[in-house]
Amino acid sequence: MMKRKIITSSFFLCMFVTTSLAQEVDSLLNKVKDKAKEKLQISGTMGVTYEGYGLNRSPSGWTGYQPRRPWNQVRFNFTPTFKFSKNFSLPFNFNFAAIPTNFAGPYAGIKKPTFGQFITNPMNSFGINPKYKWAELQLGTQYLKYSELSTGDIGVFGVGVDLRPKIFRFKFFTGISQQGINYVAGPPTVTGAYKRKNWMAQIGLEKEDSYLFAINIAKGKDVPTSAAPPPLTIRPQEGIVISLVSDLYRRKAFILKPKAHNLLFTKDLATPLSSNVKSLKPFIEAHTSTITDFAGQLAVGKKGKNLDLGVMVKYLGAGFQTIGYPFLQSDRLDYLLNTRINAWKNKMNIVASLGQRVNNVKNTALRAKQFIGNLNWFTQFSDNFSLNINYNNFGFQTASGLNPFGIKNVSNDLGINPTFTFTGKKIIHLISMSYNYSKYDERDVYSGLTTSNNTHTGVLTYVPTYLEKEISPDFSILYFYNDVPGAKITLATLSAALSMQAAKKEDAAQGAITVYLGKT
Amino acid sequence: MKKLISTAIAIFIVANVMAQGIKFNFAILNTQPPAQLSEWGNRREVLTLIVTGGQPGAPGGQFKIKTEIKTTDGTVVASADLAKTPVFTLNSTGTPLILFANDVMPLEFMAFTGKYKTSLERTGKLPAGNYILCARPVNIIDYTPQGEEQCKTFYLASTQLPILMKPYNEEVMDAKKAQTAIIFRWSPVVPTQPSPVTYRIQVFEVLPTQSPVQALRSNQPLLDKEVLAATQFIWQPQLSFYRMMKKQKTSHIYMDHTIAGCKWEPRNTNRW
Repeated sequence: MMKRKIITSSFFLCMFVTTSLAQEVDSLLNKVKDKAKEKLQISGTMGVTYEGYGLNRSPSGWTGYQPRRPWNQVRFNFTPTFKFSKNFSLPFNFNFAAIPTNFAGPYAGIKKPTFGQFITNPMNSFGINPKYKWAELQLGTQYLKYSELSTGDIGVFGVGVDLRPKIFRFKFFTGISQQGINYVAGPPTVTGAYKRKNWMAQIGLEKEDSYLFAINIAKGKDVPTSAAPPPLTIRPQEGIVISLVSDLYRRKAFILKPKAHNLLFTKDLATPLSSNVKSLKPFIEAHTSTITDFAGQLAVGKKGKNLDLGVMVKYLGAGFQTIGYPFLQSDRLDYLLNTRINAWKNKMNIVASLGQRVNNVKNTALRAKQFIGNLNWFTQFSDNFSLNINYNNFGFQTASGLNPFGIKNVSNDLGINPTFTFTGKKIIHLISMSYNYSKYDERDVYSGLTTSNNTHTGVLTYVPTYLEKEISPDFSILYFYNDVPGAKITLATLSAALSMQAAKKEDAAQGAITVYLGKT
Repeated sequence: MKKLISTAIAIFIVANVMAQGIKFNFAILNTQPPAQLSEWGNRREVLTLIVTGGQPGAPGGQFKIKTEIKTTDGTVVASADLAKTPVFTLNSTGTPLILFANDVMPLEFMAFTGKYKTSLERTGKLPAGNYILCARPVNIIDYTPQGEEQCKTFYLASTQLPILMKPYNEEVMDAKKAQTAIIFRWSPVVPTQPSPVTYRIQVFEVLPTQSPVQALRSNQPLLDKEVLAATQFIWQPQLSFYRMMKKQKTSHIYMDHTIAGCKWEPRNTNRW
């Protein structure tokens, strides 16, 4: 038997700390402030973080355990806001790392990025947003969300404006969300990527907490010549989404949010032009790989002091694929009912949601249904005792092709968490117990038999809090047991941690010892 | 007189070729070709058409391909617009002419009907099922047949990718439990595949200054695991999910074809 030995070590030297450096910054800022006779206000954070990571494998090169981080990483944070007057502010958002990593290459594999690749790398943000009254100039990396399902949740490096004179809204931004990266066969292999340009705009009317009515347009297009050699597995794409957004509020208690989105998306710009799908010139011209679809959402809700109630219906057509949301799951219909109840003089709090998701809406043969139910019930019975109960149900059901039985998977999770607190003159004892039972039933598509996968997890935690000391220890023991046909896993973890607060109670040092025991 | 003779010879040769007919011999090499029809053109291994019938050294031999896609009951799903489809010329050397999907089934010149047109516009795919692809050589002027029709059957699958079931989206987990074991579950690929499916699960840490998708696009994954023929993976992170800084939660995102996010939160939030 080959002996395998893994030694991992990691340490994180956190010099970042908003606290210490922020305090120095604050003191500097205070001096600056005095000099500026209170005309200039500066707030925010800055810092540097070093992360070290080490992994030794025996035999070396064993692939059973992969590195989790770069060996060394230094991250810089610089996010001050300069406020020159009531009307003029200049916020900075600079977050970047010294060792570039990117999904387009092997992690930490882009050794020598160009300046353009560095500032547009998704891991780095360089943003400045000078704002005067209702006009904001947006420079550098921005994460803009004009509406759900349109502009997206990816960062774009570029330039734009956000203008809000009275009730009018005008927004425009253009930039690059991905630089071109050449394919390298390797080893190590670099997947490569096409340079992606983005444009987005919004025109609308808005009165805060009253109404919003806006039309958005968002477009993204890859530059096919931006990578040489080009990526082997990725096609240059182009997409545009036009959305109509409206939110209505009535005395901040009643909310109505209908949204509609129409889309054209070309999966491969190298395919021939086609008239099978209607083009939207001058914004986009249809190819044979162009698809067009629709998405809509309607949310209605009522907020109260002790009761919230909301209903949401969301439909995403089978071809709804946007540039801004690369991982969006389309072809689905979601219904969701949300509620929050406060009772018993706010000592009881219930949060629940109930919903269904239908996938493969367009395909009746393989339509899949998921039932989703969540309940969290917290009760503070007395100053010494509270109880939290949560229950989650997730079911998945669909046909399985030509097999005699369809797929039916049901997951049920129940958690019970009582907490006891005893207060002395110098110490508070907190004892918390937690038990979770998870049952997962899976039907065999050939025999129709259902197998159960049961998991039990228990945790006992003791936390003494010294009222006159700056140390905070905690101790816990955990038991985990998973039972599936043919395999059983038992795990136990003992852990003890100690943290110490500095004099100003802003900084803390913490150490922990954890022992893992396992049996399979 | 010479012109008349040469014209007569040319007519004779063309007529001879037509009498022999243009022979199609094609194969859909992939029993389950890509459901995305526009992908057929990118993959030469999907469809190959070998055209023979030309006379060595003979001129002419021009033809178009009349292509139809039908359902198994004979309903025509799509047909080529012969006024727009390209003209092909047989090799004068007599060597076979080899054509691929883009030539035989040029999507830009194919007219789809009814629900199939709607499906193609919305998804780029036809509804899952068995189809027949037929091709026949026709005259370039009046589209009269110049050879036998060849048909091949193929199956288009509508695959349902895995859906993440546990941890569910935005789930807040107990940090102490999470650092010992986290169960990941997802639905299987449907319809059931003839060979075992390999799933790849990745977990990324979302740093305090990052958005989830930013983390996904730039961070090295904490977990990158391939799981063969199983829809569950118990991860023993052996990581501390406690952060040194106060009030700072560690947040993670994981993916397995589709994506959901979840958070590990310190249990005693008062202390953080």
